[in-house]
Amino acid sequence: MSDILVIKELHAGYGEGDILKGIDITLPAGRVVTIIGPNGSGKSTLLKTLAGLLLARRGDIVLKEQSLRDLSPPRRVRAGLSYVPQEYNIFRNLTVLENLKIAREFMADRKMRGGTAISDELIELFPELPGKFKARAGNLSGGQRQMLAFACALTVHPEVLMLDEPSAGLSPKYMTDIFDTVKKVNARGVSVLMVEQNAIEALRISDTCVVMANGHVRLTALANQVLEMKDLHSLYLGDAKEEAVAS
Amino acid sequence: MLQTAFNGLVTGIIVTLPALAVTLLFGVLKFPNFAVGSMMTLAAYLVFALNVQLGWPLVISTAVVAVAFGGLLIAIDYVTFKPLRERGSITLMVASLGLGFVLENIARLAYGNTARSFAIELARPFRFLDIRMNREQMITIVVSTLAMLAMYFLLTRMPIGRAMRAVADNPALALVRGIESPRIIRWTWFIAGMLLAVGGVLIGMDRALEPPMGSSYLVAVFAAAILGGLGSPLGAFIGALVIGIVSELATLVIPPNYRIGIPLCVIALILIFRPQGLFGQPYIRK
Repeated sequence: MSDILVIKELHAGYGEGDILKGIDITLPAGRVVTIIGPNGSGKSTLLKTLAGLLLARRGDIVLKEQSLRDLSPPRRVRAGLSYVPQEYNIFRNLTVLENLKIAREFMADRKMRGGTAISDELIELFPELPGKFKARAGNLSGGQRQMLAFACALTVHPEVLMLDEPSAGLSPKYMTDIFDTVKKVNARGVSVLMVEQNAIEALRISDTCVVMANGHVRLTALANQVLEMKDLHSLYLGDAKEEAVAS
Repeated sequence: MLQTAFNGLVTGIIVTLPALAVTLLFGVLKFPNFAVGSMMTLAAYLVFALNVQLGWPLVISTAVVAVAFGGLLIAIDYVTFKPLRERGSITLMVASLGLGFVLENIARLAYGNTARSFAIELARPFRFLDIRMNREQMITIVVSTLAMLAMYFLLTRMPIGRAMRAVADNPALALVRGIESPRIIRWTWFIAGMLLAVGGVLIGMDRALEPPMGSSYLVAVFAAAILGGLGSPLGAFIGALVIGIVSELATLVIPPNYRIGIPLCVIALILIFRPQGLFGQPYIRK
């Protein structure tokens, strides 16, 4: 299977020091890769760098054989990379419908801009949203906001969807819904790169697990192998020895 | 009392357009632009040049200058604010103060300190419900109301307006939603330029054209924007009306010379008790 996203020797950070110290990750087309690791390991920084919000100091990001390194965040979206941040991932002062519309209005591809803001496919994935179209997005519950952010990222028909801790702060019901939705989206051909603290639930729907610690990739393994590991907890905390298991 | 309230309403309406410009610029660029007063002055003098010196009708002169002034502000942003954008809002605010001095003195250099007026025919005031209204006041009410309706349509119905609100709400998220912020910034300056040009002409019709004409409204403009909530267009409109009416009604109990104190008191009170203003969102550090 070909790799849709290749991250090569990526360095990035704030101030003088690097937070990402040479990250190598590949996302095969149509697969779900979940990144786990302790707080401060650089997981969210990695997604911000991939989205273009943080400058890559070294290395490269290649999406479908196109380097994204020098592209602005909007151009990366047009290239097919969609990102859902962990927090502040909706425009609070806009209505739900305005959030959905704006997610596609500035796409260069006219085909992508046209049509309705929410397709039948999206309504099927997010049945709660049409009833809330006129509501101010800031008034939605945490779970509804996450669903809206998810829907906004999908309105541009991305090739790769990046999710930063989609289940953070959600009730168990919404958590199940979110992971079910990730699974459904992936089944429709969208490759998913996800950072998640809720490792067990996330790995159940993933193909590959990447463990990060201290700005490095410590382990790459098949998700079901990781789930069977007895020392999953220590792995999650970043104690695993550096070893690459073929995925 | 009714006459005073009406005069206050007109004063407030004059302030709505610059207050809206301030709030749009603050929302998207995150700094208080203290050059708006001088920008209005310069635009009013440009209209004066077309209207009085070239003999063009005032409406056409205003329309031409409004569009050109929008373009001029994009150019001013390019050379003045854009290079400082990464240095934070305080630097930009200080730059706007300097720019204000420069623009006002360009007008002074070109036309001196003599008060001037547009070439408009004098018309007899008329009375309605015991309120005396003159033609300039009616023009102010009609033009400002139409401009506000156009702004409402732009901000809520058009993609560029939605994008301006989105960038004001969350600039980082706007980027990852595919919105090119430099393009939105240019549109914001263009629209602010049009609002300030029309606002400058309305002030010039209400009073005389003189270099400090725009700056003299600065306190009222910022009081209106802060009262309504910086970044909230509806707030700017309501805030301007409240400031205008309250300032004018206050002259019934305090000497008119102290009227300037009313907006200053409003700024102080709102910053103490409700810093986000009437319609603004509480600040969240992202």
